[in-house]
Amino acid sequence: MTVLQNLPRRGPKGTEPSMVIGGARPRDEKTEELAAKIFSEFKSDFRYKEYVLGCINCGECTTGCPAARFYNFSPREMLQIAYQDDPLVLLDAMQEKIWACCQCYTCNMRCRFGNDIAGIISVMRELAVRNGLDSAKEVLKPYSRILLAVMTNGTQVSPDMIQPDFFADWGPFAVAKQTDIKTLRKAIPIDVLQVTDSSWEVSMQTSLELFQIYTESGVVDMLKSIDPDLVEMIEDIVDEWKDEFEEMKAKYGVGEA
Amino acid sequence: MASPKILIIGGGPAGLSAAQDITDAGGEAILVEQEGFLGGTPKRLHYSLLAPDLKPVEEVLDPLIDSVQQSGARCMTGAKVESVNSGRNGFTVTISGGGKKVEEKVDAVVVATGFAHWDPHKKYEYAYGVYPDVIDFKDFEKMLSDGNIVRPSNGQVPRRVAWLLCVGSRDRQVGKFYCCRLGCAVSIKQAMEVRRINPAIDTYVYYMDIRTYGFWEDKLYWKSMEEFGVKYIRGRIGSINRGEDGRLIAMAEDTILQRPSEVPLDMVVLATGMEASEGTRETAAMLGLELEEHGFVKPLESDSMPVSTAVPGVFVCGTATGPKAIPDSITEGSAAAIKALNYVRKRSIKVQARA
Amino acid sequence: MLNADQIRDVINQRAQARTFSDKKVHDVREEMWRLHDKGELVVIPIEKKNRPVEVETLFGWKKRIPTDYLWHHKSCGQCGNIPGYPASLLWFMNQFKTHYLNEPHQTSCTAWNYHGSGTSNPVALAAVAVRNWHRAYETGTFPLIHCGTSYGDYKEMRKLLIENREVREKVRDIMHHMGKELAIPEEIVHYSEWVHVKRNDMAGMVKMKLDGITAAVHEPCHYYKMVPEDAIYEKDTNGGQRPAPPTALIQALGAKVADYSTWYDCCGFGFRHILTEREFSRSFATLRKIKPMVEEAHADVAITTDTGCVTTLDKSQWIGKSHGMDYMLPVLADVQLAALAAGAHPYKIVQIHWHSSPTDSLLEKMGFDVAYYKKDFNSYIEELQRGREPDMLYKPHDEMEKYFAVNKGHVIMDN
Ligand SMILES: Cc1cc2nc3c(=O)[nH]c(=O)nc-3n(C[C@H](O)[C@H](O)[C@H](O)COP(=O)(O)OP(=O)(O)OC[C@H]3O[C@@H](n4cnc5c(N)ncnc54)[C@H](O)[C@@H]3O)c2cc1C
Repeated sequence: MTVLQNLPRRGPKGTEPSMVIGGARPRDEKTEELAAKIFSEFKSDFRYKEYVLGCINCGECTTGCPAARFYNFSPREMLQIAYQDDPLVLLDAMQEKIWACCQCYTCNMRCRFGNDIAGIISVMRELAVRNGLDSAKEVLKPYSRILLAVMTNGTQVSPDMIQPDFFADWGPFAVAKQTDIKTLRKAIPIDVLQVTDSSWEVSMQTSLELFQIYTESGVVDMLKSIDPDLVEMIEDIVDEWKDEFEEMKAKYGVGEA
Repeated sequence: MASPKILIIGGGPAGLSAAQDITDAGGEAILVEQEGFLGGTPKRLHYSLLAPDLKPVEEVLDPLIDSVQQSGARCMTGAKVESVNSGRNGFTVTISGGGKKVEEKVDAVVVATGFAHWDPHKKYEYAYGVYPDVIDFKDFEKMLSDGNIVRPSNGQVPRRVAWLLCVGSRDRQVGKFYCCRLGCAVSIKQAMEVRRINPAIDTYVYYMDIRTYGFWEDKLYWKSMEEFGVKYIRGRIGSINRGEDGRLIAMAEDTILQRPSEVPLDMVVLATGMEASEGTRETAAMLGLELEEHGFVKPLESDSMPVSTAVPGVFVCGTATGPKAIPDSITEGSAAAIKALNYVRKRSIKVQARA
Repeated sequence: MLNADQIRDVINQRAQARTFSDKKVHDVREEMWRLHDKGELVVIPIEKKNRPVEVETLFGWKKRIPTDYLWHHKSCGQCGNIPGYPASLLWFMNQFKTHYLNEPHQTSCTAWNYHGSGTSNPVALAAVAVRNWHRAYETGTFPLIHCGTSYGDYKEMRKLLIENREVREKVRDIMHHMGKELAIPEEIVHYSEWVHVKRNDMAGMVKMKLDGITAAVHEPCHYYKMVPEDAIYEKDTNGGQRPAPPTALIQALGAKVADYSTWYDCCGFGFRHILTEREFSRSFATLRKIKPMVEEAHADVAITTDTGCVTTLDKSQWIGKSHGMDYMLPVLADVQLAALAAGAHPYKIVQIHWHSSPTDSLLEKMGFDVAYYKKDFNSYIEELQRGREPDMLYKPHDEMEKYFAVNKGHVIMDN
């Protein structure tokens, strides 16, 4: 079996091994401060005590883990790190390893202790984003298109995203090659699917409600710390929509929609 | 004073031992066993050699069975206790068997109704009942007793056999939170037997801890490596699948190497845990005994009064109160016997004093 | 958490079925109804008009699958690149005269964000779920979740909203700001469960040949590993030890289901992996799934019931040729296979041209005149290019619905 390389190093100290026993590594104050902050946010998250219960190191989580077969990663190690009390080790894992997980939940179903391992990895990812860690920035870079889509029309995949240059490895049949994509979409016998720039046509009211959710739940603020430009762009789009929405209300004679 | 008359429910190691000591002390023992024979689960499921000394079951249990039968204890096999009513002067019990019902008056009751194997059908990832070469403890004990170690799928001698410990034990996913205490020892013992019968068969034990208490450590665990070449892999199998040629593929993590592994195997033996037997649960309900949180009979005090119960005159021993080995079950049988005898004696002294 | 006595009670009650942990043991649905009675939330009930069918889940619990008056909760990945997936489902619903709504007033579950990139939070996820559910609530329909991940996520969100007061209150506030209630459906239902309970009706429609077809099933992780107690298990399918859908359907249609060694493995989708760690996704899909499906199971087709799995298994194969792995195993959703079996148009309805791995030989084996259907579809495409109105499975929405969620109570049936 081909064993692929690990995820590229994402921490600032590119030469270090990713896991060093606490204390064996040079520390600087800034890193320690950041680690301590993340550590306390992590341990006080309401999900922490529901998800992390204990561990008897049986390894069953890892037996079915897809990421463990290709990366230097194991759910057991993640759970151990989550369970132990070393802020620097936690930070280290958040700088790289947490991004290997596929969120398939095999570990959860297997865990005889009843831990929610995939869940706690999600929490770590959320914290990495919220704290603007380098790893999160790196990971999200090629992702901004998806984020834009999901923040505005609430769907992740649009037909025009699957372009040959980006998905060359999917082969010549992956993309609507011979025919133009517009016509191919027209040939789907479902009206709301006959669009190319989102998975389905999402009504404006729905998009605006979604953005209201993102604003009120703090997601917009959270994203600002990681990609302020993107947030600005999204806000511009939403503002335009709001104007258009008012116009349409007048046009269709809709009061409070 | 009439000699104390004590009912013992269950004729396994614990019940036999109780019956023996009651008659030896001059009491009258009525032993009710639902099966047609005495000896309990080890006999019923045809266990092969017993840990830790690798003695055949017969060698260990037959002398006990014989001496109980010769002791004058009334052994009723193929019989069940239908009802128990407690009155001022002990208990009135109805026993059915052989198409007849008899009523007896007894002074005390000893519960020795034992355990059952956990049903591995409930752990889906191990495909018990789906792949014939995945078997459990009792299937393999039977195979060893018959001296015929072959793959159920094709009748051929296996080249690689693995044991997977803690199936139906220590697992919240299946609601079994406790250790079965025997699984490690029995697996190791089985692997040693295999190696003794056919050294060409490779044996692997997948474990998360090896719990071979006390003397079982050197007699079983160490010995199995030194003298029998049994191999140990620290990590659990998460799922068992079928490979191309019909062999089993065990997906595990080797937690020492910290890597997931995939090993082709000819047979996997699931070290199934212990749970309270159906008879234990029924009998507890009939006698008004409380169950503890794992489903076994709750002793009055699990630390200081392990064979007493909250119901006066009712005592309990052996695996009815939780997983344990044969010597412990036998010891508890004796303990329950003396507690029951003392209970009857003290009560009759009180009655005499009042009279 | 339950106390020891309660756990023991439940275990004793269900001694025959698979038993469970203290953490996962309790049925959130009971607490949900209590909260409903207290006015803390509104349960979207399964009513008589939904014509529910009862099934059994992992722990032997009962689950009711509504079969009529459904609100399609579409999947972004399906609509984006496997449009034949929802089209086949809607096609069947038309055959069965099922009442349904398929609206533009839906977002995806957005769980992709949360799980893939950590760019969401529980309150947002739960609010998104409730907003979608509410649309079914206000139209008198019941949500049918197309995507496995959405299904898994919604089960988690239901649990969260029921168990966590703080999240519940925040979400309720957000909903009130939008003039909506905190509505939770009585059951979270995956489309494959609808297909499962309809499988005999589908089997009755089979026109094509399936007895020579061997299928390898990939069971989607998010169907049965996320909140496992909600997945359907049946004693007679897979020895009762693996979920019944889609195996029971495939067998009902007359095809064979073959086992293979990596059955429990994930497909390799991994949310962000499929986009930005593709060397992982395609290696995993090819080496761990497609290869054993072909070499061990000798499958003619891989069948699965989730968006990400169809995509990953299907799209990852082509590149394997560069490593000498030329498997080219067709990958279809359960409902697509069923539609083909029932003789639906492979291109106009099943939209099989959106799949990457070649399907011609499968279609031929099933008895389709592939050349004829291709020609037919190509001329349809040409007509569309010349401006012809497209064929539709239902009457298209009004222009106004591009903006406003109107159409309350108007359920589509006739095509
Ligand atoms: C696979 C395996 C291998 C083992 N090997 C060893 C070993 O090598 N060494 C060792 O020390 N221990 C071993 N043990 C443990 C050993 O089997 C037990 O310690 C022992 O059997 C317990 O005895 P018991 O009398 O409590 O229960 P049991 O042996 O279960 O006997 C209970 C008896 O009660 C009867 N009964 C139940 N209900 C009723 C009723 N309502 N009415 C009438 N009769 C009833 C049953 O039929 C049964 O005969 C092993 C256990 C297992 C699972």
